[in-house]
Amino acid sequence: MSHFLLMVVYATLLSVFFAVLWRREPKERWKLFLQMFFGLVVGAVVLAWLMYPFPSGPPAPIP
Amino acid sequence: MSKSKRGAKKERGEPAEKNAPEPAGKEAGDEVPQAPPVAMSRAVTAIVLAWLVPGGGHLLLGRLPRAVFYFVWVLLTLAIGCYLHGLLPWMLHGSPLQVLKTLGAMGSGIPFFALKLVAGYHGDLSSPGFEYGGAFIVSAGLMNMLLVLDTWDIAVGRKT
Repeated sequence: MSHFLLMVVYATLLSVFFAVLWRREPKERWKLFLQMFFGLVVGAVVLAWLMYPFPSGPPAPIP
Repeated sequence: MSKSKRGAKKERGEPAEKNAPEPAGKEAGDEVPQAPPVAMSRAVTAIVLAWLVPGGGHLLLGRLPRAVFYFVWVLLTLAIGCYLHGLLPWMLHGSPLQVLKTLGAMGSGIPFFALKLVAGYHGDLSSPGFEYGGAFIVSAGLMNMLLVLDTWDIAVGRKT
């Protein structure tokens, strides 16, 4: 499973959850869902793009 | 209409004018409809049930469709985490972040303890989805914690 697909699944789960929890009207729910979903996905892609020039560090220690 | 006349109308319980400005910091549609509060013992039972079973508190307070949705949604998130063989955190001495992570995951209630103690699930470190799955599992717990707060708000009459 690709990293991007997992991120999209995660963003979908969270966005739908918060849209149902915080809004009551269907139109408002859709609005919040779209804002959160694209905020998470696009935000993560932009952040990744900004970090791209930085060199990666040593491998993470195994917990 | 003058300010004094509008105030007099409000006191009589008549509807305000359509074009009357909203109070500062409030927009149309911001108001949350309220429900009558329930007894304190029922409210406490509801939040305990909400923690133990996702959606349980909503069910107790008579919000069946939302209860079903929350139950399915939290368990789906948890199930995806397990499918990815994500880490099911447990207390580690001397690691405050791990403790926080564990408390977050424990928010799922019974499903968390069933996975840990009954199914013996721990996660698979060698799986590529280990880290991602862990994020799903902790998120499921945090979602359920928010549901506990939502249950409380409904029980005390702050939300419908």
